[in-house]
Amino acid sequence: MSQNELNKTSVLIVGAGPAGLAAAITLKNKQPEAEICVIDKAAEAGNHNLSGAILEPDCLSTLLDTINKDWKESEQAQDVLAYKVTKDNLLFLASKNFHFSIAFSIKIAKKFNLNFGQMSYEGNYIVSISKLTKWLCQTAKEMGIEVIHGFAAEDIIYDAENGVATGVKLVDQGLDKEGNKQPNYTEGEIINADMIILAEGCDGLLTEKFIEKAGLVRQANQLYSVGVKEVIRVSDAQFKKFTAGRVVHAMGYPIWTPVLGPGMFGGGVLMPVSENHIWVGMIVGLDWKYCDFSPQDALTNFKNQRFVRKFIEGGTIVEAGAKMIPEGGYYALPRNPATSGIGKGNVLILGDGAGFVNMLKIKGLHNAIKSGIAAGRAIAECENNPAATVSKYTELLNTLGVMREMKDAAKFRQTVAKLGPLIGMPISVFGDKLPLFKVEKDYLVMTSKKYKYKPGKSYDKDTFTALAATEHREEQPSHLTIINRNTCAQECREKYDSPCITFCPAGVYEMIAGQVKPANPSNCLHCKTCQRKCPLDNIRWTVPEGGGGPRYKTV
Amino acid sequence: MSNYIVLVKQVPDVSQITDNAFNPETGTLIRTRLASVINELDAQALAAANYMNQLCGERGKIVSLTMGPPMAAEVLRYSLARCADSAVLLTDRALGGADTCATANPLAFAIRKIVKDILGGSSDYFIVSGMQSVDGDTAQVPAQIAEELDVPCIAYVTDIKYDGERFEFSRIISGGNQWVASRSVPAVITVAKYEYPLFATFAGERGANRFELIQWGTDDIKAEYTGIEGSKTRVIRVFPPPGTTRKCKEITDARKIAGIIADCLDESQKKDEKAAGDGNGYVLPGARENIFDRSFEGTHKESEDYKILTGIIEKLGIKSLADITDDVKEKILSKAGEHFHKNALEDMLEGFKTTEPAYNGEVWVAVEHDGNKIHPATFELIGKARDLAGSLKTKVGAVVAGGKPEGFGQELISAGADTVYAVEHPMLETFDPKAYRKAISETIEKYWPQIVLFAATSMGRMLAPMIAYRLRCGLTADCTGLEIKDSSRKGQVGILMQTRPALGGNVMATICTKDSKSQMATARPGVMKRLEPDKKRKGEIIKNKVQLNQTDLSLDIIKTEKATGKINLDSDIVVSGGKGMQSRDNYEKLLSKLVTAIADKFDVSIERGASRAAVEQGFVERIHQVGQTGTSISPKIYIALGISGAIQHLIGVANSETIIAVNSDPAAPIFKHCDYYINGTVEDVVPELVEAIAGINKKD
Repeated sequence: MSQNELNKTSVLIVGAGPAGLAAAITLKNKQPEAEICVIDKAAEAGNHNLSGAILEPDCLSTLLDTINKDWKESEQAQDVLAYKVTKDNLLFLASKNFHFSIAFSIKIAKKFNLNFGQMSYEGNYIVSISKLTKWLCQTAKEMGIEVIHGFAAEDIIYDAENGVATGVKLVDQGLDKEGNKQPNYTEGEIINADMIILAEGCDGLLTEKFIEKAGLVRQANQLYSVGVKEVIRVSDAQFKKFTAGRVVHAMGYPIWTPVLGPGMFGGGVLMPVSENHIWVGMIVGLDWKYCDFSPQDALTNFKNQRFVRKFIEGGTIVEAGAKMIPEGGYYALPRNPATSGIGKGNVLILGDGAGFVNMLKIKGLHNAIKSGIAAGRAIAECENNPAATVSKYTELLNTLGVMREMKDAAKFRQTVAKLGPLIGMPISVFGDKLPLFKVEKDYLVMTSKKYKYKPGKSYDKDTFTALAATEHREEQPSHLTIINRNTCAQECREKYDSPCITFCPAGVYEMIAGQVKPANPSNCLHCKTCQRKCPLDNIRWTVPEGGGGPRYKTV
Repeated sequence: MSNYIVLVKQVPDVSQITDNAFNPETGTLIRTRLASVINELDAQALAAANYMNQLCGERGKIVSLTMGPPMAAEVLRYSLARCADSAVLLTDRALGGADTCATANPLAFAIRKIVKDILGGSSDYFIVSGMQSVDGDTAQVPAQIAEELDVPCIAYVTDIKYDGERFEFSRIISGGNQWVASRSVPAVITVAKYEYPLFATFAGERGANRFELIQWGTDDIKAEYTGIEGSKTRVIRVFPPPGTTRKCKEITDARKIAGIIADCLDESQKKDEKAAGDGNGYVLPGARENIFDRSFEGTHKESEDYKILTGIIEKLGIKSLADITDDVKEKILSKAGEHFHKNALEDMLEGFKTTEPAYNGEVWVAVEHDGNKIHPATFELIGKARDLAGSLKTKVGAVVAGGKPEGFGQELISAGADTVYAVEHPMLETFDPKAYRKAISETIEKYWPQIVLFAATSMGRMLAPMIAYRLRCGLTADCTGLEIKDSSRKGQVGILMQTRPALGGNVMATICTKDSKSQMATARPGVMKRLEPDKKRKGEIIKNKVQLNQTDLSLDIIKTEKATGKINLDSDIVVSGGKGMQSRDNYEKLLSKLVTAIADKFDVSIERGASRAAVEQGFVERIHQVGQTGTSISPKIYIALGISGAIQHLIGVANSETIIAVNSDPAAPIFKHCDYYINGTVEDVVPELVEAIAGINKKD
């Protein structure tokens, strides 16, 4: 095969996560002769996929039943779906020492078919998205799909005349820190493709560039949360006490307490990951207003909360990581204003990249997989007709129930953001009848206020990144850029005391000789919080050389 | 136009070892918890081969070869995605469990087949490999392949040039580097450093996935030595390395640190001397008071079992082996309970019959020198050899090859040798691996010592595997412990137990030689301790002859460069600066003051290091970077200035004897992983420290 042929594929999928792989698997199943390439910037399958997720297994049946009806019996499926949710706790943490269950209210809501009745998870599975991805990747490879890891795409290439996307450009490799070519410099190739599927995950580099270039519109601002989590190895007794199959969601302390605050959106999570290992996570909406706040501060407080502490005290942290979640919901989906399609021309946008997260369930995994299924089906059905593919894809999102779910939860996040959880939560039962509150972009919400529960000891971010096993070739240009140094040194420092230094979960930013710098780009976890929370919108995240970044295994 | 056969190996990713990779109860490393990657130096070797191909102008073929389980195909795909034209996977159950000898042998046979099948019989090729693998860490296989194929071996290459006709290689030698050329091709090249590993291209990766690998098994290559059967060593036990416990003591007065540095160097000296000591008090079974005394077994379990057995035998009042009838055996078993069963008892009783040592002959040290001076490691080995020979009631021999080696005789005898075997030949004037290995191995063959020790220097690590392979003897590399012990149940007593770190120091392994006439090992310099030289010591110098001609030389030496101003992170003391140094000027100023002060006062080697952050900030060049991604070091004293102690840094300095930290952040993680710390800024502390060191009375 010639070089040119090797740089060309019929369908190119950017991102080998659950959405991209589901699209590849679905298409290949329908069209075994289809030439499909999936590229991913991680070194290995699942390395950049973080979420201790709760999965509604139906989407896996839709995806895999026609390929192998006994898929559930396979060793890997058994491993991935090890824990079925048997005990579902929803707690309100009133303070460091007090908590009470609010599960009954969810049960009542469910009975009356109210929206937030969706916050019940019994019958779902607790899965590691990293393991799930690894398994789907293997399934895809076995079907003859080319899944190629270690390649990062930095741009979409368009036909100069008709503006149609013709392919993607990969990142140059072998540049030194100053951008000079080293002897092993390898120019990033252009991969040509007839159809491009963007499945990059939250705040995708190509996705955002495409949305702008193609003139796709989000009716409401995309909002984000960041999740930080740890896998903790606990004692036999602690694990027994916790019980396998138990999921704990906790609202309130340490990010929201009534009257005197703090008032942030989000909550804590506890779940089993494997024998004697428990996930402890904290998800916080990026619209926090405390300039000295770090998500890991909240995690520390959560871990020290009396209810939580007893399960993990004395344990060893064995893995850690951080990731953003797109929370804008239905109205933040990027659409072609003319057709309402999620994508344009020969480009489709999938999963977290589009923002298919149901905020009532705080879950997007099943929708990501369903969006992949929809994309796969659409391409198979509309061979050689890209324009029809986008409409078909958008239509199938309806058929598969993704849109209905998104619509039910459409205004939840905005309502809570506007009215706060105390009023916002109950009022959200009115669902779509509520007005769509206009909510500012996350980064605009920053003040000089301080976080009330700042822990006395600073969180050890070095160990955190080491446990995320993140690594980049050190001699490469920084993939993080500060647009205007003066803004950092003056305005930001005066007003907010350079919050990126504190909030970056990987401790990438540091003050050196009076200048804020992305001092440790090789610690970056690719969560992109900096790009969305810098109060002056002064940071840009681009993609580093392929193969770099975290190496999540179970987190 | 030359062709290239690149040896690549799949290894566990030891750079990613986290707490979860260890069994929490036993502390042993769980191999399956680690990802598999291409051995980093092999990736560099592949790039070096590609570079040679480019230098030469006309492109030859690059064929990558690996031996391993089927999943090792991944490293071949790695090669194909970058520059390899073809790839061969040598895989067969029968090849598993091999030591270096049983690895080099089938690889050499596979190379012969590659030359015939893929390179059309051309003899114009280079075998290129990384100098060593991170898991085995022995550096033996390439040299042994060279020995099997009888071709030159140029080890530890760091730079390559092409003069239009032939390649010139810069290789690391003790105390510097040397430009050499191979007098013939094919030749084996081992790469110690080639900075620019290749990146895969997307098209290359796709092509690699479609490439049909060539797969061979034992029947295809018909090798002589394979698998466990063909190995010359066996692993007795694997155990976690001893954990270090740090003192974590806060020092409030910077001046006290000066005294601590002096004390640490003193203690380190004493510890070394103790390590040299008189060994473990081993006595051959025939010379023990109690015929049932088996207290020198190689493994803890066997020692314990014998202790219980001996105890029971004594209680039963049994005096000789003949008294142990079947009835007595029943009694013993009933008393032994769960400790051992019938078969084990039979083995152990049988073991009592072995009283004669498994090997005979002297304990030898292969002498390393540069023509003028003997390498200090040689004296350390003689010290160890004395200890071993004492246990075995035999003599210490030193074998020295060279242009005029007799001159070294008395010095070696003073250091502890009883006999010096001098092999003299004008062609041994300078070190050529091929000529030297012939001279030394012929002498070994003449006398057959029971143990031969080599220094694990760049020279010794090349010579030892060639000699061991040539003489069909087992060899253990880089030993940190050498002891005479018994393996009574296997019918061997008085054998050499060789302990060495493996997997990047994450596990320790004790290894024994098998199916060999002599037990061979290399030992790391600085680990064993030399004896105080005794100028009055008497010994014998025996001259030996060797026949050499031009074909016994393998290398043309073009130029030797002594190291000047080279970075030596193997120094006794390493002083590192971190981000806390604030600026390049500060780093330069404070470190040079401190380094000069220490160097003036103490007779030690000292080097500057840096944390990754300091390098990132441009305070100092990357070559100084200490830590997991820089250089892992094990100095006597490590001084960390303004380094917070990221885990990656701490792993890289974990083997330091004493760690002293200065940091302004009271919560700096390094304070929990050091012996002494001062909470303060480097600008305040370092000048005080410098002053205090200058005030110490100079030691002689």
